[in-house]
Amino acid sequence: MPPLRRKVLRDLVRLWPQALAIALVLAAGVATMILGNGAFASLSDTRTRYYESYRFADVFADVTRAPLALLDDVRAIDGVLAAEARVVQLALLDLPSLQEPGAMLLVSLPENGAAGLNRLHLRQGRLADPGSSREVVLSEGFATAHGLRPGMTLALVLNGQRRELTVAGIALSPEFIYALGPGEMMPDPRRYGIGWLPRQALAAAYELDGAFSNLVVKLTPSASVDWVIEQVDRLTVPYGGTGATARADQTSHAFLDAELKQLGTMVKVLPPIFLLVAAMLVNMTLSRLVTLEREQIGLLKAIGYSSRAIAQHYVEFVLAIAVVGIAMGAVAGQWMGAELAHIYAQFFAFPFLVFSRDLGLFFLAALVTAGAAVSGALLSVRSVLLLAPAVAMTPPAPADYRSQGGSLWRKLGLRQTSVMTLRHLLHRPWRTLSGVLGMAMSVAILVASLWSFASIDRMIDISFFRAEQQDVQMVFGQPEPPRAAFAARAMPGVMAAEPFRAVAATISHRNVSRRVTVFGRPAMPQLSRVLDRDLRPMDMPEAGLILSEALAQGLGVRQGDTVTVAFLDGSRRTVNLPVSGLSVGYVGLGASMELGALHRATGGAEAISGVNLLIDENQAPAFFHAAAAAPETGFLSVMALTVAQFRATLAENITVMITVFVGLAGVIAVGVIYNFARISLSEQGREMASLRVLGFSKGEVAAILFLELAVIVVLAQPLGWLLGYAMARAMVAAFSSDLYRVPFIIGPGVHATASLVTCAAAVLSALAVRQRINRLDLIEVLKTRE
Amino acid sequence: MSDRPEIVFRARGLTRTYRSAAGDVQALRGVDFTAAQGDFIVILGPSGSGKSTFLNIVGGLDAASSGDLWFKDHHLTALDERGLTLYRRDHVGFVFQFYNLVPSLTARENVALVTEIARNPMTPEAALAIVGLTDRADHFPAQMSGGEQQRVAIARAIAKNPEVLLCDEPTGALDSATGVRVLEALVEVNRRIGATTLVITHNAAIQEIADRVLRFADGRIVAERVNASRKAPAEVSW
Ligand SMILES: Nc1ncnc2c1ncn2[C@@H]1O[C@H](COP(=O)(O)OP(=O)(O)OP(=O)(O)O)[C@@H](O)[C@H]1O
Ligand SMILES: [Mg+2]
Repeated sequence: MPPLRRKVLRDLVRLWPQALAIALVLAAGVATMILGNGAFASLSDTRTRYYESYRFADVFADVTRAPLALLDDVRAIDGVLAAEARVVQLALLDLPSLQEPGAMLLVSLPENGAAGLNRLHLRQGRLADPGSSREVVLSEGFATAHGLRPGMTLALVLNGQRRELTVAGIALSPEFIYALGPGEMMPDPRRYGIGWLPRQALAAAYELDGAFSNLVVKLTPSASVDWVIEQVDRLTVPYGGTGATARADQTSHAFLDAELKQLGTMVKVLPPIFLLVAAMLVNMTLSRLVTLEREQIGLLKAIGYSSRAIAQHYVEFVLAIAVVGIAMGAVAGQWMGAELAHIYAQFFAFPFLVFSRDLGLFFLAALVTAGAAVSGALLSVRSVLLLAPAVAMTPPAPADYRSQGGSLWRKLGLRQTSVMTLRHLLHRPWRTLSGVLGMAMSVAILVASLWSFASIDRMIDISFFRAEQQDVQMVFGQPEPPRAAFAARAMPGVMAAEPFRAVAATISHRNVSRRVTVFGRPAMPQLSRVLDRDLRPMDMPEAGLILSEALAQGLGVRQGDTVTVAFLDGSRRTVNLPVSGLSVGYVGLGASMELGALHRATGGAEAISGVNLLIDENQAPAFFHAAAAAPETGFLSVMALTVAQFRATLAENITVMITVFVGLAGVIAVGVIYNFARISLSEQGREMASLRVLGFSKGEVAAILFLELAVIVVLAQPLGWLLGYAMARAMVAAFSSDLYRVPFIIGPGVHATASLVTCAAAVLSALAVRQRINRLDLIEVLKTRE
Repeated sequence: MSDRPEIVFRARGLTRTYRSAAGDVQALRGVDFTAAQGDFIVILGPSGSGKSTFLNIVGGLDAASSGDLWFKDHHLTALDERGLTLYRRDHVGFVFQFYNLVPSLTARENVALVTEIARNPMTPEAALAIVGLTDRADHFPAQMSGGEQQRVAIARAIAKNPEVLLCDEPTGALDSATGVRVLEALVEVNRRIGATTLVITHNAAIQEIADRVLRFADGRIVAERVNASRKAPAEVSW
């Protein structure tokens, strides 16, 4: 092995803690790159493959009841590759284990098995026998939540009639990767599942023989989605069609999309931070190494080594660190990727997960990382190239501190040791700045991840405690006349009932439009309310609309503007309505009207979609019993359960996320502070030993270094808060979709926690260096010239 | 009050053995020594004879392997690390061959470094005046010559009004004329504050300025001479 190569290895061994600290930061960059990109690719590849293999539809439409013959017209539409008419109905679960009845979405199985769209992936058992009226295939999440296996039975209330079904099989469907019950915010597999039944049996139960209630359409690659939707709407309107939706608006797909969007943001934000910090650390460390080895460099040049060979030596040293970092990062990235895939698998129902061990990605990550490390080394290597041998071999002139302020410090009344510290920091402004910036990144990462706690609390507080005051929302199976509200009011335990109507509509302004559900509420809602910007409940205007801020923003409208509302219910009326007010809200796009105004706007047919109820806690069992038995009950949404599920799901995800972010921030903080401390000690070790000789105690000498680190850490805090604030803002923007928006709230606790965590990491690194201060050799320093 | 100056150092059978894998090195092999208040002692001896080792033990930088050393009523050889630190802080001034100044502090600040933690210091300005550097007080080490830096080091060593001044080859890195100025500063300090002064040197000429001369060889004091009369530094040359 050439001697210079051997020196690389020796240097690595000698400087291993510093090299390791840098390697860890690089590893974090590689890991987040591999993890983020890998998870992104994994999720989107899995979805694509799943959709393709199981023929996931492109267009979806609900009707009340349409004759099967209509299907031929749909198939004849230009661009339609395949179309399938299904019966899709919501049934109530009759499970003794659930006090509050859950629901099951029943979907008809295609008659001719394999030819269908949205094909099932069987996990256990078999498909239901087409001729049977007592067999059901269950979605896996639901089956698992209830411990149901093929052969076991399950009771459902279909169209008001209780029926015992036998589980034939357990399956997954591309249509329900994310199975969200109506009105819910998080999937709750205990209270909401999918059941696939033979078409005949299901049609018979809902009196839909020879008819269908749901249409799924697959398009040719060149088809225009909007145009096909128009044609489908034209065909389905007479049959109670509520407007076809494209895949982008399909619940399961849209939620997956939102998840992908978030991941994409992380992938863009995190790795560059680590690579930047790592480059700064390499720069600091290497420039110190080159300074220390100045004479050796001169000697090597004098005996005939080319500048290139020597420069290459230092680049090799950096590359060796990079290789270690890349290797650690790759392993960690793969491992964390597997963990993340595990979380996804729990959250999204995929039959398989493509976690691609993408070599291309790995090489790219390795290349980018090595590039970042080497670019950090460039300045120092340049100084190696420029060093003339004769100059190099004379010891460097003593550091010149003339410009670092003389009398100013004295006027401040600082101790000399503090003056030492401050001058030392000022003497290498770029390094000091790098230290501050690196540390600030650590703070920023924490701020940018911790803020979500307050935001979620805020989301829950606004959505569930201030806006929605009902205990239970009862959604009818189909629209009912207004007197249904009185029937609900009469149920046991009901203390108050408030009707609502939900009508699908397209709201447009100029050339922007959004598909929303327009809610009709009483003039002065008491239970399900919308809030103005000051969080006061709003009264419903006589004629106009109240839009959520998200929707108003999406449409580009302000209060007082007029929007065009095309109702997608049977009336198919299109009206112009003023925007009478804006409401806050974080879930979905909201539009509300006064109930009567909505009736008038849609053309008079007075119907309600459900009631919001206040329930006497003591009579809850009786209520749920009665509600489950009532024929109009389609679905019961229990607020307390919704909140609990929302919290539990988020808590789990956030705990994982926070752990990862605290770890990553810790890696940066330790990497920066440890390296900074070691370099500073290397520069000032001699002075510190001299101070020990002069009678300074170990503690007093360590305090000099600690003060230096403290200055870095303290300066980094406000900068880190600022950067974190900016990052959080960017994340809010990236996380917000039409499905939900995230309120942007950073409480003071966030800053304090971020600062505490980073300070703790800094203190640990400082303590690691303190050992070295304690071991300073007092006598050695007297014998040698620097 | 008697005429005889107080004895400040008493050493009995001091040894120091460096242990290493390559074998033990006996740097000191039993040194007996006394010094009185205000003594100006020059230590001579070949390289490796144990001079620095001895001085370092006397200064509380190193611990003897055996034997006893007393500074007034402090039993130095019984002190722990913390006790030795306090001893150095309160009683000892050091001057070394390589000055060991803090480059980021001016001359005045280098001196103030010590006066800030001393019990009974003079002002940094007074200390610099003794070594004749009043006009360089605001200069950084990088702006001063070697001799000037060494005089700053002496000012720093004496600013606490130490009872002991220990100098290990203070003129080792300096030319003759500069060395004389440094020696003059040492003599001046010894006279003014009455600090017991031990100076290691390789320069035999310097012994003329001492009260006593100790000669080290092979880890022992092999000869001791008392000068009846002391020369002024300016009178010696090398
Ligand atoms: N840390 C050490 N480890 C091992 N041996 C040491 C150590 N320090 C000094 N020695 C040895 O102890 C002996 C005395 O050393 P010391 O430094 O006291 O000599 P000295 O008289 O000051 O020499 P010089 O005039 O060259 O400074 C020498 O043989 C030296 O090699
Ligand atoms: Mg010596």
